[in-house]
Amino acid sequence: MTLPLDDRARTTLPDAATRVRHDAAVWQLRAKRDAAAGVVPDFEALRDRAAAIKDHALDHLDVLLERFEERAVAAGAQVHWAPDARALCETVESLLRARNVTRIVKSKSMLTEECGLNPWLEARGFDVVDTDLGERIVQLGHEPPSHLIIPAIHRTRGEIGALFHREMGTPAGESDPGRLMAAARQDLRARFLSAEAGISGANFAVAETGSLVLVTNEGNADLGTALPPIHVACVGIEKLIPALDDAAVFLRLLARSATGQPISAYTTVLTGPRPGAELHIVLVDNGRTRLLADPERRRVLRCIRCGACLNTCPVYRRAGGHAYGTSVAGPIGAVLAPAIGAPSRDARTLPYASSLCGSCTAVCPVRIDLHEQLLAWRRDAPALPAGLARTARVVAAVMTRPRLWRAATGAARLAWPLLGVAARMGGPAAAWTGARELPPHPGASFRERWKRRVVREAAP
Amino acid sequence: MSGAGRAAGPSAREQMLHAIRSSVSRVAPHPGAHPAPSLDASWASFATVLASVGGEPQGPVPRRELSGFAVERARSWAAGGRIVAEPSAAALLGGVAGVETAAATAAPSHFADVSVAIVCGELGVAECGAVAVLGGDAPQRALLFLAERVLLLLDATRIVGDLHSAFRALPPDARAGHHVTWISGPSKTADIEQTLVFGAHGPRALAVIGFGGDAALTRA
Repeated sequence: MTLPLDDRARTTLPDAATRVRHDAAVWQLRAKRDAAAGVVPDFEALRDRAAAIKDHALDHLDVLLERFEERAVAAGAQVHWAPDARALCETVESLLRARNVTRIVKSKSMLTEECGLNPWLEARGFDVVDTDLGERIVQLGHEPPSHLIIPAIHRTRGEIGALFHREMGTPAGESDPGRLMAAARQDLRARFLSAEAGISGANFAVAETGSLVLVTNEGNADLGTALPPIHVACVGIEKLIPALDDAAVFLRLLARSATGQPISAYTTVLTGPRPGAELHIVLVDNGRTRLLADPERRRVLRCIRCGACLNTCPVYRRAGGHAYGTSVAGPIGAVLAPAIGAPSRDARTLPYASSLCGSCTAVCPVRIDLHEQLLAWRRDAPALPAGLARTARVVAAVMTRPRLWRAATGAARLAWPLLGVAARMGGPAAAWTGARELPPHPGASFRERWKRRVVREAAP
Repeated sequence: MSGAGRAAGPSAREQMLHAIRSSVSRVAPHPGAHPAPSLDASWASFATVLASVGGEPQGPVPRRELSGFAVERARSWAAGGRIVAEPSAAALLGGVAGVETAAATAAPSHFADVSVAIVCGELGVAECGAVAVLGGDAPQRALLFLAERVLLLLDATRIVGDLHSAFRALPPDARAGHHVTWISGPSKTADIEQTLVFGAHGPRALAVIGFGGDAALTRA
C-alpha cells in the first residue's frame, strides 16, 4: 500500500520529536538562504545567468571536456575517463596500488558516494578516512550522509558525543560541539600528515584553464590536497564550466543558497599539481550522458549540489535523507536517482515522493524546474502500489466532475467531526492519518467564500 | 591518456565523448559576462563583512608602520610559538627577528607546528569578505591551512565590490599559477547541530591587516 520511502521514513526519523527537530534544523537553512538572497541586488539575474551558462556548457560538453583535458595535461595533471561507477573505482584503485598507497584522506564528494568508492577501497584493504566533520561522523557511525552539505544533520549532539566516546575516546557524556570538533580535529590532523594520497571531488572544472575549484568551510579539502604527494580528483562531467570568470557567477550563488553565507571560508582554484606532486583527474559519466541525451531532462545536470531544494522540501524535511535510500536525497535526489548509475526499481519510485508544490523550483539557484522534472519522471516510474493507485483513481474521478466534487465536499463538511474520530480509530486509512492532523473545518467552502467576496465587491 | 584500469583506457574516453556528441547541438549561446552590481568597494565595507564571517579586520595602517604592527600582532598570537612568513610577505615586512621565511623547497609537513603564518593577499572582495591569495605569494599552500592562526597583509586600496570584478582583476599570470585561494574568515564548521565553531581543521583565527599610503588613510 505504501511507497519504499514511506516505509523507510518510519525508521529513519522514528518519532515526532525527531521529525520536528530535523524539520526545524533544515528549515533554518532555508530561512538563512532567503535572508542572504534578499540582500544581493542582482540575485535573480544571477540565477538566470547561471542557468544559461550551464545550458551552454552542457550543449558544448564535448568541446569543453577536450579543452579541459588539454589544459589540465599542459599544467601537469593526468586525466582519466570513467564511463561508470565501476570504472571510477577501478581507476582509483589501480592508481593507488601502482604507488603503494594504503593511507588515504578524503574530502567530501557526492560523486564518490554515488559510485561507492569508499566501500570498494575499504574492501580491498585501503584505509580511507573522510575528513569533512559531518562525513567523518557518518563514516564512524557506518551510515550514509543524509544531507548534501550537512551529512550528519539527522544526528543530535548527544548521539555524536556517544559515537566519539566509543570511537575516539572522548569523555563519556561530552556533547559540546566545540569540544567534539576539537577531538576530531586532533585525530584527523595526524591522519592528514601521514596520508599518502588525498581524494577529492570538485565543485567546478574550468575548461579555459584546466583548473578545479574546491569549496569548503573547514579547509579539509585543502589539507587533503596540499599535504599528500598524490591528489586524485573525481569529477562528474556536468561540473564543466567554460571559463574562470564564469565561476564568480556560481560562487555568488552557491553558499548563499546552501547556508546563507556570502561565500564559503575557502574557495581554491587549483591548476595542475604542485611541484614534485601528482594530480590525477577522473572524469566520470555514470548515467550523465543518458540525461544529456534527453532534452527535457537535461536541465537536471545544471545542479551545483547546494542543497537548497532539500531544505525547502516538505517531504525531505519530515522524512529525512536516509528515507530516500540514495546518495543524494530530496527533490534533486529523486530526479537523479532514476537516471544515475544502474537505478533500482525502488529508486525509480522516488519521483512519487513529492507533493509537486514547486518550492524546490522556487529556490533552485540554477533554475531547474524540479517539480516538472519530478512529474516527467513519474511517466517512467513503476506503477503505484495497487491501494494508492485505486485511491488516486477515485480522487481523480471526483475532482474532474464538479457536481460530484461539490456533493463530496458537502458531505465531508457534515461528517467532519466524525472524520476526526475515525482518524484516531485506525483502520485502513491509518497509513494516511497516522502522521497527519485533521485541521478544523473553515466553516464555508471556497466557492461560498468566493461568492460572498464577489457580492461584497460588487456592492456600491 | 590513462591506461590505468581495464575500463579506463582511451576507449572509455571515446565512448564518453561519442555519447556526448550524439546528444549536443552546440547552439545554446553563452550569456556573456555578468554585469558587476554597483556595490560599495570601501575598506570599511569589506571590514564589516569580514568581521561577520569571523575574521578580524585590522587597520588600515600606514605602509611604514605595517611591519611593526603585523609583527606585534603575530607575536601576541604566537606566544612564543613559530611564526612563518611566505617569501613575498617576508620581503614586505623586511628582515624581522623571530619570523622565519618559508622555504619553497621544504616538505609541507615541515609547517605542521606553525603558530602564525603571514601571507600577502592580492585583493579583497567587499561583498563576501574574501581575500584572494595567489600561488606566487603562497608557494607553500599547506601553510595557509596548517598554521593555528593566519595574518593576511592587504593593500587597503585593493578592495573591489563584487566577485566578478575580483576574478577579472586577477593578474593574467596568476590565473595560470598552481593555485588561487579565496579566504573568507577562519576555518569553520556547523556540522554538529548547526552550532558554528571556528578552527575545524585549519586556522582558528584569521586577521587581515590593511595597509596603504597616507592618502588612503585620510580618505578612510
